[in-house]
Amino acid sequence: MSDGLPGPAPLIEIEAVTKVYRMGAVEVQALKGVDLQVAEGEFIAIMGASGSGKTTLMNVIGCLDLPSAGRYLLEGVDVRQLNDNQLAAIRNRKIGFVFQSFNLIPRSSAVHNVEMPLIYAGVTGGRRERALAALESVGLGDRARHQPSELSGGQQQRVAIARALVTEPAILLADEPTGNLDSESSVEIMRLLQELNEEGRTVVLITHEDEVAAFARRVVRLKDGLVVRDEPTIARASGVTA
Amino acid sequence: MKLFEALALAIAGLSANRLRSGLTMLGILIGVAAVILLVAVGNGTSVQVQNQVQSLGSNIVYIYPSSARVGGVSQGFGSAQTLTQQDVDALNDHSQAPDIVTAIPVAVASGQMAYQNQNWFASTSGSTQDFPQVRNYQVSNGSFFTAGDVRSSAKVVVLGQTVVDNLFGGDPSAAVGKTIKIQRQSFRVVGTFAAKGSAGLGNQDNVAVVPISSAWAYLTGGRGKNIGQIVVQATSSDSVPAAQQEATQILLNRHNIGDPTQADFQTQSQQDILSTFSQITGALTVLLGSIAAISLVVGGIGIMNIMLVTVTERTREIGIRKAIGARRSDILLQFLIESMFLSGLGGLLGILVGAGLASWLNRTSLQIAGGALPPPIVSVPSVLLAFGVSVGIGLFFGIYPANRAAALNPIEALRYE
Repeated sequence: MSDGLPGPAPLIEIEAVTKVYRMGAVEVQALKGVDLQVAEGEFIAIMGASGSGKTTLMNVIGCLDLPSAGRYLLEGVDVRQLNDNQLAAIRNRKIGFVFQSFNLIPRSSAVHNVEMPLIYAGVTGGRRERALAALESVGLGDRARHQPSELSGGQQQRVAIARALVTEPAILLADEPTGNLDSESSVEIMRLLQELNEEGRTVVLITHEDEVAAFARRVVRLKDGLVVRDEPTIARASGVTA
Repeated sequence: MKLFEALALAIAGLSANRLRSGLTMLGILIGVAAVILLVAVGNGTSVQVQNQVQSLGSNIVYIYPSSARVGGVSQGFGSAQTLTQQDVDALNDHSQAPDIVTAIPVAVASGQMAYQNQNWFASTSGSTQDFPQVRNYQVSNGSFFTAGDVRSSAKVVVLGQTVVDNLFGGDPSAAVGKTIKIQRQSFRVVGTFAAKGSAGLGNQDNVAVVPISSAWAYLTGGRGKNIGQIVVQATSSDSVPAAQQEATQILLNRHNIGDPTQADFQTQSQQDILSTFSQITGALTVLLGSIAAISLVVGGIGIMNIMLVTVTERTREIGIRKAIGARRSDILLQFLIESMFLSGLGGLLGILVGAGLASWLNRTSLQIAGGALPPPIVSVPSVLLAFGVSVGIGLFFGIYPANRAAALNPIEALRYE
């Protein structure tokens, strides 16, 4: 990204990152040297067809996976220098995951699901209150005691967003968050993400749908493990239809 | 993560699959219950045998004639007639044997007894007036025979409860004063013994006691003044070894034997008998416990099996937890606590079931193979050990599955369907 303007300090700094998987005897190069910078407060959509490397990139950004080569600085910290426990702590405090299939823990109430990252963070006091506040902020304050199976897809995804937000992470990382939702719920979820971005939260969205990407401010297109286009969205979808 | 939170997570995980958790627990429950019950039965047997040995008398040393050697050939235990009335008198000499209260000779003649149309078979012992004191018998009706009866070879007899049951329909007062036949000789019943109430080491109530002079004269036939055993009572339980030593020395001197290994008699104290039986019952307890322990191991393998299934089933959940910040140790702890909780709770319930069964057996006095099962005694160490072992089993058999869960790659775990 080189717009020449002195923007805010980059939150994510990815330089020449490659990722090589070994599938049996064959080596698959999922990322072939990706450069990407994301500043604080951005809303960026990473797009690409399946096989383009976008899921791999998301795993790297989310610290679920380490790059094979290159540099990834998250808030100035080189994640390749971190051990397992430090990576777990980063996932816990700096990154909030939102998955396509919601990935709530079954047979646990909504509030308990939201509370979970705080438990792993070692927070002891006021956990329940923070979880309830997060649920409130996604409009599900009245569903706190419900189990995932008692909630609609859109509601489950809101619970997942509340869970992602509860530790006040630097980045909200959403992987196809609308992939399992009907169009109405999709719009609701995207508006929610947009609102969160407007409140200052950095959002990284992975999607293959243009309508979804249209909610972001900037779109990065991947093809065959390389960034092929990186530009602001032209016609941004509006959160609140005027 | 706090231990309490890990416990809450584990309980939530287990209660999600109640039937499976219950069945897994059952394996440990049965194992622990079996260990506790069988060890209790072993303990009960041991205590019963101890009581029976105690009931033989208090602070007793037995002296038996050794096997006689005729031309270098051993004739077997008790075949010699090396003990005499003079030996008994010497043992009763307090200046030589300060730790001996009394020594009594016993000559045993078994034989048929009859009263009217009833008949019964019991061993008839010939002894002296000190017999009840030494052998710990209480006279319930009438009285025991006297020193005068022994001097005059009186044809009098004192009967044990079993003999009374079989000849007089169980009524001791009906027996006293009656005349019964022992080996076709008439003996007048002068007294009866109170029941000792113990079975096992020979029925101690199936006895008849006559003056030893009468036994020699009328019952032991042509075997002369044979003494089958001398029973020595020590002054206290502490002085039993001293009494045994004194008796041995007196008899060696009297029999002119210099080398104790060549003695023509053998002594055996109650402690000797007790330790022999303790060895046997101890081995029995260990055997029973080991058999039960096998079922505990089987239960442990059941836990490992179910934990492996659980880890596979919950692969995705593990992936989610790792994605939101669970460390390896958090996952490890969660699954370890689950398996330890399963086995620990199973162990606790097993203790209740085992102890419950033991107390039920105590109340019902179950008959097995014609004999009463000894009342089981639940020992506290066996309970603590069983509980500790069951928790340990959960730890041991839980480590592998928990480690597998902790080592899962979060990306693959999240992709797992």
